[in-house]
Amino acid sequence: MEASDRSDDFIPAGLASLGVEADEVDLAVMGAVHQIFWPPILELLALDTSEVVPERNPDLSRAPR
Amino acid sequence: MSAALDLSLREQAAAIAAGDADPAELLEATLARIEQRNPALNAIVETFPERSREMLAAAPDGPLRGVPVVIKDEWPLPWRAQRFGAAELPVPTTPGESGPYLALRDAGATIVGVGNMHELGAGSTGNVSVYGACRNPWNVERCPGGSSSGPAAAVAGRLVAGAVGADGLGSVRFPAAYCGLTGLKPTFGRSAMAGHHMAPITNLIVSGPLCADAADCRLLGSVLFGEELAGGDAAGLRIGVVRDPVSEDVTPEVRKACEAAIEDLRAETGGEVVEIDLPDLVAATLSAVLIINAESLNGTTVEGLNRLHPDLSPLARGTLKYRMLLPASALVQAQRVRTLTRRRLSELFERVDVIAWPTIPAPAPPLEAPMVELPSGTLTADQANVRGAALANLTGIPSVSAPVGLSSERLPIALQLQAAWGRDELLLDAAEALERANGRRWVESKPPLAEAETTGV
Repeated sequence: MEASDRSDDFIPAGLASLGVEADEVDLAVMGAVHQIFWPPILELLALDTSEVVPERNPDLSRAPR
Repeated sequence: MSAALDLSLREQAAAIAAGDADPAELLEATLARIEQRNPALNAIVETFPERSREMLAAAPDGPLRGVPVVIKDEWPLPWRAQRFGAAELPVPTTPGESGPYLALRDAGATIVGVGNMHELGAGSTGNVSVYGACRNPWNVERCPGGSSSGPAAAVAGRLVAGAVGADGLGSVRFPAAYCGLTGLKPTFGRSAMAGHHMAPITNLIVSGPLCADAADCRLLGSVLFGEELAGGDAAGLRIGVVRDPVSEDVTPEVRKACEAAIEDLRAETGGEVVEIDLPDLVAATLSAVLIINAESLNGTTVEGLNRLHPDLSPLARGTLKYRMLLPASALVQAQRVRTLTRRRLSELFERVDVIAWPTIPAPAPPLEAPMVELPSGTLTADQANVRGAALANLTGIPSVSAPVGLSSERLPIALQLQAAWGRDELLLDAAEALERANGRRWVESKPPLAEAETTGV
């Protein structure tokens, strides 16, 4: 099973752990959103950014220092 | 009818300043035109004639004295809280003097209405709103673009000559592109933003002007910036282009029009086109999407999610809840990608002045089914559009969308130009150069609804 197909478990369990209620329509929408979001999220997490030191409080009005 | 009604924003301002147009007549003519044309567009969700007349009566002698404008349903006004196109917001809103309101008031402008917007600012199409779908003046069965749908449709339909939108993930540029307007997404922090319910936490969203052309954007932008956006000539412009889906996974008509526009711009400025590499653009796009989704959790509580307003759309309800499940590790990674992308851009802008690619990969899709057919297949318009827009919001750089053609279905096509931080003026210079290059053909094209008659209101 692909990770992106596991919304049947991930979404209801995640919502239940938070105490967020969801009806069938909510779950259907979230399932569709999950199918779109999750694969690129996994790709993002796989990106090697170990050499990048994030800017502290970046000033987005200017180029990075 | 006021003869000034169909003038550009700057022409209206100049005519009033010179005593050639009566601002009271212009206001009444504008209100009459809104009554006449708005039912077909649903661009303006509320007018307040007495408030508008009071603003005009008290208007200082500023650069927009007596000029009617529309503001998006995203900022409070002293007499009205913003609704964000939704039945309910996660945070309570109240009437107040927002930054854009104060900037417009102090410039002497008259706010004549509030512009419709995509529900919660969460869409690039403008077809979902608590007020009902906004419609595109070029074809009322097509999406006007979002989330600043109403401001764009109001200007394209010539209800007003200028409007204030907001851009957190392309929300000025998409509707500008779909409606054939010029829209500026300013450098982060340069334009008025106070009073926005997200202002304390966002580092993506900015206010920005939507107008027929770059000169009008310069005027309205100067008001929103609180400083004059001086004009230049963009001579010797170095135009960066990328070989990436953002440029290539677009309809053949969009690709042809944008490539021709880039060549026109190069020739007009005596500049050069430079092929550049911008790696990890997909990661940058997702990073911006994740960050704005996290920002949008501001004020969200489990209790609130369990009693959402029944009139919120199913998509909004599901998305609001799904945001609670976004992994923190992805948000940390998104911040790293933001840093990486900002550093890469900083280096890139040593070699080029602007980066150019299509604002939208396909012209406005149908309201009822906002999908687009691209070389890679069928995508939702939101999925396709965000690829070209998120970079500017993630990194803070300015960006402008300018019309560069009409499709075979007579729907606008647009080119996006992005520049280094603080070079908003250069983008407007470049957009003006593009207008000169094409003889102002596209900025002066009017949709059928606005061409219908100009002798009445």
